[in-house]
Amino acid sequence: MSLPEFKLLLRPRTVEEAVGLLAKHANNIRVLAGGTDLIPSMRQKLFEPQYVLDIRHISELKGVHPRPGTGVEIGALTTHTTLERSDLLRQRYPVLTEAAGTVASPLLRNMGTIGGNICLDTRCLWYNQSLTWRKACGFCIKKDGDLCHVAPGGTKCWAAFSGDTPPALLCLNAEIEIASPSGMRRVPLREFYTGIGDSYRKLQADELLTRVFLPDTSAYYHGIYRKLRIRGSIDYPLAGVAVVLKRSNGHVADARLAITAVNPAPILIVGATQMLAGKVIDESLADAVGDLAAKTAKPLTTSALTPEYRREMIRVFTKRAVLAVANNESLVRH
Amino acid sequence: MTEFSIIGKPIAMVDAAGKTTGAGKYTDDLCLPGMLVGKILHSAYPHARIKRIDTSRAEKLDGVVAVVTGKDAPTPYGILPVGHDEHALALDKVRYVGDNLACVAAVSEDIAEKALELIDVEYELLPAYFDPEGSMKAETDLIHDNKPHNIEKDYHHVFGDPDKALAEADYVAEGRFIANEVTHAAMEPHSALASFELDPHTGKLGRLTVWSSTQVPYYLQHKLSLVLEMPMAQIRVIKPLVGGGFGGKSEVIPLEIIAAIAARAARAPVKITYNREEVFWAHRGRPRTIIDLQTGVKKDGVINAVKARVVQDGGAYCSYGVVTILYSGALLGALYDISDIAYDGYRVLTNKPACGAMRGHGTVNVRFAFESQLDEIAAKLNLDPAEIRRRNLLKPPCITINGLRVQSYGLPECIDQVVERSKWKERKGKLPRGRGLGIGCSHYVSGAANSIIRSDMPHSTVNIKIDRDGGVIVYTGAAEIGQGSDTMTAQIAAETLGCSLARLKVVAADTDLTPIDIGSYSSRVTFMAGNATLRAAEEVKKQIASAAARKMKCPPDELVFRDDEVYRRDLGGEGARATHSEASASGRVEGQILRGSLQQKRKDEGPKDWMTFEEAVVAAIDFHGALTGTGSYAPPPEARGGKHKGAGVGPSPAYSYAAQVAEVSVDEETGEVTVHKVWAAHDCGRALNPVSVDGQIIGSVWMGLGQALEEEMVWKDGMLMNPGLLEYRSPSAIESPEVEPIIVESIDPEGPFGAKECSEGSLAATIPAIANAIHDAVGIRLRECPFTPERVLTALRAQNKAKPINLTEGVDPTAPTRFREHGGALWFRGKGPERHPLDPARQKATAEIGGDD
Repeated sequence: MSLPEFKLLLRPRTVEEAVGLLAKHANNIRVLAGGTDLIPSMRQKLFEPQYVLDIRHISELKGVHPRPGTGVEIGALTTHTTLERSDLLRQRYPVLTEAAGTVASPLLRNMGTIGGNICLDTRCLWYNQSLTWRKACGFCIKKDGDLCHVAPGGTKCWAAFSGDTPPALLCLNAEIEIASPSGMRRVPLREFYTGIGDSYRKLQADELLTRVFLPDTSAYYHGIYRKLRIRGSIDYPLAGVAVVLKRSNGHVADARLAITAVNPAPILIVGATQMLAGKVIDESLADAVGDLAAKTAKPLTTSALTPEYRREMIRVFTKRAVLAVANNESLVRH
Repeated sequence: MTEFSIIGKPIAMVDAAGKTTGAGKYTDDLCLPGMLVGKILHSAYPHARIKRIDTSRAEKLDGVVAVVTGKDAPTPYGILPVGHDEHALALDKVRYVGDNLACVAAVSEDIAEKALELIDVEYELLPAYFDPEGSMKAETDLIHDNKPHNIEKDYHHVFGDPDKALAEADYVAEGRFIANEVTHAAMEPHSALASFELDPHTGKLGRLTVWSSTQVPYYLQHKLSLVLEMPMAQIRVIKPLVGGGFGGKSEVIPLEIIAAIAARAARAPVKITYNREEVFWAHRGRPRTIIDLQTGVKKDGVINAVKARVVQDGGAYCSYGVVTILYSGALLGALYDISDIAYDGYRVLTNKPACGAMRGHGTVNVRFAFESQLDEIAAKLNLDPAEIRRRNLLKPPCITINGLRVQSYGLPECIDQVVERSKWKERKGKLPRGRGLGIGCSHYVSGAANSIIRSDMPHSTVNIKIDRDGGVIVYTGAAEIGQGSDTMTAQIAAETLGCSLARLKVVAADTDLTPIDIGSYSSRVTFMAGNATLRAAEEVKKQIASAAARKMKCPPDELVFRDDEVYRRDLGGEGARATHSEASASGRVEGQILRGSLQQKRKDEGPKDWMTFEEAVVAAIDFHGALTGTGSYAPPPEARGGKHKGAGVGPSPAYSYAAQVAEVSVDEETGEVTVHKVWAAHDCGRALNPVSVDGQIIGSVWMGLGQALEEEMVWKDGMLMNPGLLEYRSPSAIESPEVEPIIVESIDPEGPFGAKECSEGSLAATIPAIANAIHDAVGIRLRECPFTPERVLTALRAQNKAKPINLTEGVDPTAPTRFREHGGALWFRGKGPERHPLDPARQKATAEIGGDD
């Protein structure tokens, strides 16, 4: 499969330049950061932009930087490998270290960026296929068509958001910085997603995600990310659960829970915080939180394994994550 | 001094450097001046008549040189003489989504792809069949008009009196097993480059050369000749390096013929390389198989009868299907001693890509069923699963009830080895809940005793040429596909001639240069091409020996050939090595021409006790003239099987044997299975190259692990849902367990140096070993593979009578009320894309078509 023809590869060096180019070619341009999602999708003719904006040379958007008094700032072009290896993140935000370490495979983590993972296109078995395949099957609402193969008769797109780091970021109350021709703005990550598969994020065609901020108030929470996949590597999540928790005197001072890959958006389950706050975690409380998460999950046949099973795994993984985080177990070595 | 100097030593593959550094050339690396890129238009429908193909708009596109369709090569072909049912480009009908319609040859890939969009095809849609059991009921709109009920072939074999034996059994186990469809997933996608030469006299297209990633250069030459209506002698097939075959390249794949047709039309070289999706469509993998199995045993665990009904979902074309369905029945024999067998095999056509040969061809799925059922029987009779296998061993040499001759039989030692190394006796059944051990056994042919094309020709022929430079060149048609055939050939020739490997060059798989070998499939190369190499080398050696013996004034059989020297047996070579050590210090010198003066000096010295290999060669050429040898191999008539219909498939000159123990743990909340270790013993006769045998055993276990746990081609109404390596999940390094390969050497009386096959036989043991280990761990019997976490969890819940999961509980009210459901697991059930009113998936009466059982 060859890449579709595009007119020009644009290589800005600054955010201003990038946003200017975005504005100039809005609706006909795609952003290339790691390229791990964009390139295969372009080969499948899911994106056929006239221009490709290669932002890899905007050096100000790389790296993890402590911002004393407020928290930590992560440039959108920071790779998953960098996140995974950052001691600062490991100490303060272990849930993110863990989530970043589960993304795809080592080679892809060297390329893929946190900005790309946040903006990751929603995925569906009926959508992430070659042009030939989609033509044979019949196009769907997400691309070129007007029907949904997952929910026949429905007009909503159910393609699942399948990023690994956003549930961790949601648990950390992360904010993102978006650059646009009218300037910079900061929005909480949880307001970034729409929950609709084919228009899954609130990012205008002339806007660029530039930075991620992790607040000091979320630092030093115990955290865990659990990911359902068939292979131990490479796979996108089929379901994912992130939990962070802070204790005081054996009771839960604060906790947050988010799920991914089972809805068109990663979802912060607000009810879980209330459920856990002030309690001592035991098996039955963890079960109850698991049930709540499973109710929030709406997996459909967008990926391998049955929706029933994936929903059940949200329950089991949530329960396990809550218990593990209460016992301060983590895959990440401190 | 050990018996051999090269055989039995761990030797690096002779082609390793090119492959590991990237310098090696695969077909897609090749480039010819003026070469065009070929791209194929594939069918969008699973079953349709072609009313019209209009290529005129595509032909007008700038950069397009030629567009070819079915009418450019209307002769049907197929790998089996009984299965000539394919056209490289569809002539009147398409039979699966992905079937080949037309090919564009253009100056670049994107122009070719653009041109494909400009080809207009008008279809008349036909009802399609996706489920084999539904397809067997079809009366009209058959996939092939000459195959009633869409049955490609059915066989009904009865050996002994199985009904009587079952009636006399103390216990009869019965069950349905399902093995879902898997594919080879070789790293290198298929690629072919075709180029015509101009006839020097007429200026018309003359000889054709095709470079291809094939396991079977000779068959490719044969089929090209048939379809292109050219004499075979005008066609040259060359096989460059191949990046894995596993059976997926063991027959003629459409692109090979399409490239030739396109090159003929374009009058320029054309290269076609499949993308991964096209590789899945070309397929020829292991069919989804439904096995209804009955095994009767006596109280002591001795099997007295087996009855099997096997239905294979073969896809739209015959391919190797007739052979696959026969192997499934025939290889019920030759592992254990079974006196009465009934076998009903159905190879069924469906509107999906053709299944064909895949590592462990025909035996793997049935072996999964059999070994699982044997485990159930052992549990029922309260017998140790290893012990019940020991009680059913063959007593070779023997001929089984279905006509298979067994001579060497290392199965007992394989079982003993894995039992001992895994500490089976101490640990089986005694591990904590959630962790378990399981055993499985398997076997496979060392090449088929009867070739696909029934004839008396040798299955392998090898030529050897040695010249005055002392270099040995071995010409073999055997196809190196990564399995080590070139290395094996070099080792056997070098061992026989007593020369170093550095002196040897293997020229392989080029039909102009090398004699016929029928190819690399059914694990035949070591046994057959190996024997041919041995015979060719012995012939040359005889010539050298007679000349050298004259010089050394002794009978030729007094001479020993070893370490690049020829010496008299009674001297033991000691003197030789002492005087010769200086020259052999720099290995290169030995391979070069001896200086004239040195030669003369040695000549003048008169009779001697030893000669260098070069000297002996020079003596032989002086005496005989040209120094060449040839050897060929055809399996002996005694090994060619019985007389019943279908008896030709299954017989082999020798069988390999394997036993494995797997240790697994099962997460009872998630259903996830982790394989911790596999002890894998394999009887390969003699291990010619132990490191290569280890690699083959580990690879077989790994591929079996994939089929056992992760790999499955998922279909939805004829659409392959996972036509890529992201969604078709071969195991990654992370979940690959430690494999302890154990080589058992039974030294076969007819194998070259006693060797048998080692690359396929182990695979079939892995799946049941894992299934049985899961049973040991948590007490569930899984009868459908792969054992995905949800199949495991479903079985666990059924065992615990736990409440089933409610899909719609607590669902957002805005969610759709009717979900597209999956079936048992990855297998979809329910309605598909509403493609056509005749699509059976849309008809209520046949709603189960395309679904699970």
